[in-house]
Amino acid sequence: MKRRDFLKRTSLASTALLLPKFLSGFNLLDEAVATGKKLVIIQLSGGNDGLNTIVPFRNDIYYKKRPSLAHQKSNLIGITDEIAFHESLVAHSNLYNNGELCVINNVGYPNPNRSHFRATDIWQTASDADEYLQSGWIGRYLDVSKSKSLDAIEVDDTLSLALKGELTDGIATKDPNIFYKTTQAPYFKKVVSHHDDAHLSEHNLGYLYKTMVTASSSAKYIYETSKTYTSKTTYPNNKFSKQLKQVAQFINSGLQTKVYYTSLGGFDTHANQANKQKRLLKVYDEAMAAFIKDLKQQDSFKDTLILTFSEFGRRVQQNAANGTDHGTANQVFLIGSQLKKQGFYNPMPNLTNLDANGDLIYDVDFRKIYASVLNNWLDIDAKKVINKSFSGLNIV
Amino acid sequence: MTLQEIVHLYHRVGFGISYAEATALENKSREAIVNKIFSDSDTFTSLTIDISELLSTLEVIKMRDRKKVRSLIKESAKKVHELNSAWIARLGTSNQLLREKMTLFWANHFVCHDKNILHIQQYNNTLRKHALGNFKDFVIAISKEASMIKYLNTKQNRKQKPNENFARELMELFTLGRDQYSEKDIKEAARAFTGWNHDLKGNFRFRRFQHDTGNKTFFGETGNFDGSDIIEIILKQKQCAQFICEKIYTYFVNDQINDAHVREMTELFYKEYDIENLMRFVLLSDWFYDKKNIGTKIKSPMEFLVGVHKVVPMQFEKKRELIYLQKLLGQHLLFPPNVAGWKGGRNWINPNTMMLRLRLPSVLLANGVISLDEKGEFEDDFQRLNARQNRQRRLKVKADWQTFTAANKTVSLQQLQKTLLVSPINKGTQEYLEKLEKEDIKEYCIQLMSLPEYQLC
Repeated sequence: MKRRDFLKRTSLASTALLLPKFLSGFNLLDEAVATGKKLVIIQLSGGNDGLNTIVPFRNDIYYKKRPSLAHQKSNLIGITDEIAFHESLVAHSNLYNNGELCVINNVGYPNPNRSHFRATDIWQTASDADEYLQSGWIGRYLDVSKSKSLDAIEVDDTLSLALKGELTDGIATKDPNIFYKTTQAPYFKKVVSHHDDAHLSEHNLGYLYKTMVTASSSAKYIYETSKTYTSKTTYPNNKFSKQLKQVAQFINSGLQTKVYYTSLGGFDTHANQANKQKRLLKVYDEAMAAFIKDLKQQDSFKDTLILTFSEFGRRVQQNAANGTDHGTANQVFLIGSQLKKQGFYNPMPNLTNLDANGDLIYDVDFRKIYASVLNNWLDIDAKKVINKSFSGLNIV
Repeated sequence: MTLQEIVHLYHRVGFGISYAEATALENKSREAIVNKIFSDSDTFTSLTIDISELLSTLEVIKMRDRKKVRSLIKESAKKVHELNSAWIARLGTSNQLLREKMTLFWANHFVCHDKNILHIQQYNNTLRKHALGNFKDFVIAISKEASMIKYLNTKQNRKQKPNENFARELMELFTLGRDQYSEKDIKEAARAFTGWNHDLKGNFRFRRFQHDTGNKTFFGETGNFDGSDIIEIILKQKQCAQFICEKIYTYFVNDQINDAHVREMTELFYKEYDIENLMRFVLLSDWFYDKKNIGTKIKSPMEFLVGVHKVVPMQFEKKRELIYLQKLLGQHLLFPPNVAGWKGGRNWINPNTMMLRLRLPSVLLANGVISLDEKGEFEDDFQRLNARQNRQRRLKVKADWQTFTAANKTVSLQQLQKTLLVSPINKGTQEYLEKLEKEDIKEYCIQLMSLPEYQLC
């Protein structure tokens, strides 16, 4: 075989897999047809400025601390007598009016960390600030629920810590077509159809082949299932919208996957924040509008819960570069049609009571939200996943 | 030694060996070959990048000038990436195989991270210097390193307000292992390390007035101990020797521990804590060459990448791409996930990293394409972020096939296979290999490297 052929063949489709004996007890896919609930997690990376996203437009302190950054009422979408949404959040204000949005204000955790990397790890692993975990909350959800890798998909090239478990890792794929092609190596077909494998079962080599089977069968399943649905909804032309479009395709085609993970970066607005944040929130809001429309058309929105978070909020006092520095607590959005609590879960943060850095003091521990989602939406004992007991919030 | 034993040995003490080099050793005894490995690593060559500009800025900078300090910090962080590339280049070229492999091992034992290039470069060279030395000297040197003093908060450990972080990790991760000490031991050890600090240039400084000179009771002994005394007492516990031997065994022999073998190692190591003696014992023992210890370890990303490079030298035109590759594979040198380091073994492999590893040889060596979308960077502006979407692109890598061809002129495909794959080969895979039309040794090389078997060493 020529190299070119070899390379070409590695991207050729294979037929059904014949599994070797040692893998036969290894159930590749859940037998039940996917009808269950879905969770979609969106991370706004970089630390979105929550205070300029949901704005306390009657609060004098807000205007005092943000002389050039504060939004005037006329530029906002009014929600209540005191609170308004950023002008980019058109779809979100509609969701709010429909009772399909729950805003949890001032979410954080004790002794907040202001490093992107560390704060992201804390949110993704559901750890305490001084606790370093190597597995994420979704990964541990896979472990505890004895789920398969493909039950959690990150629509990206790399896997976030959130989806890494102690036993099972989720799958990262941005394009099921490419993912599928890359798993169809010719030797692989040959190898898995071979039955003499006594030495494989206990050896690390067996583990490698098993992982290949998981990757390949997952890729095949994802590819073949998801191609049965083609979205008729128009999405904006950007990377984030593409990710959400992919998630909608997965959900609407009936993929068994329970958790999807995506992110939108660029929120680290230390300088000239106003335009940057306006553009980013617009991208986020418009993509969500298309996504939800797509789900609603296939009647799958009712079984979908969308959670949006950012690793931290930003400092109340703006900086000299018309931006804001790393802060602490921030709001979390929950979107769905089966919310137990609609609108605002709790009051806006208190701007008079700040910590020594001039940052917000959190009100709701983010792990309470995770606990609610795990207990009430994903039907799993949250304690086993978070390793600590957090009372839920009765929101879903 | 047999060819297979030689190939096995060189995979463990280094990153593999070429067929020509291996056959040149074939008629030599185990002692002779192992002796050569140690004499090659006799000297210590520090790894340094050019930081002269930074150093001269440091001489004149005023700490009150926040703007200059900030730009210095930024410049320093950049240099850490430079050290990362220099280190990987070193792994691929150094003749001090064992010393460099041990340095890699210790870096994941005495785990540390620092954005200060001056301090982390010095730290890295301390690892290299003591890699085959005396373990007690090693632990003391590490405890006095500026990077470590910052990383585990020894800096904040003062008589009036002790900080236990370093004392705890010293015992839990560096010497004894979890639950081998009491909380009281930690408190007393922390007191002994009070006042250990460093200056701007990274020299150790003992701050007398922050040190607690009172009596401490530690593992049943009482006295006005300082940090070095504590380390000495820790090393009196046989558990310390055993803990280190278990780790060495896992890294160099097999991730399934054989108690009898580790016991032999512990007895020897406990006597003098001489790392070179310990390693010599391991490499000379018969069990090191047992079939069940050959080709059974899952390569770390570094072992994988540097291993490929040893066969076909590669040059990354863009440092950024090499960094990204390290992140994708799960081992970004100098950026450990946390103080416990990388777990290693099967933890390197999940469906994504597995498929990536199988594809990488053709991507790196045969102009294959790979999706290189990085996760949303925190500070990227949106235009740039969006412009980068869904790019399938070729890595800017120059593969030096001439070196490969020159080294393998008279080497048969069978012989190449014997040096590249140490693990037993799955029957189906073997059949597949036999059916391949084998015209070109370069193509066969890529094919071999694209097998699951190549992930083992």
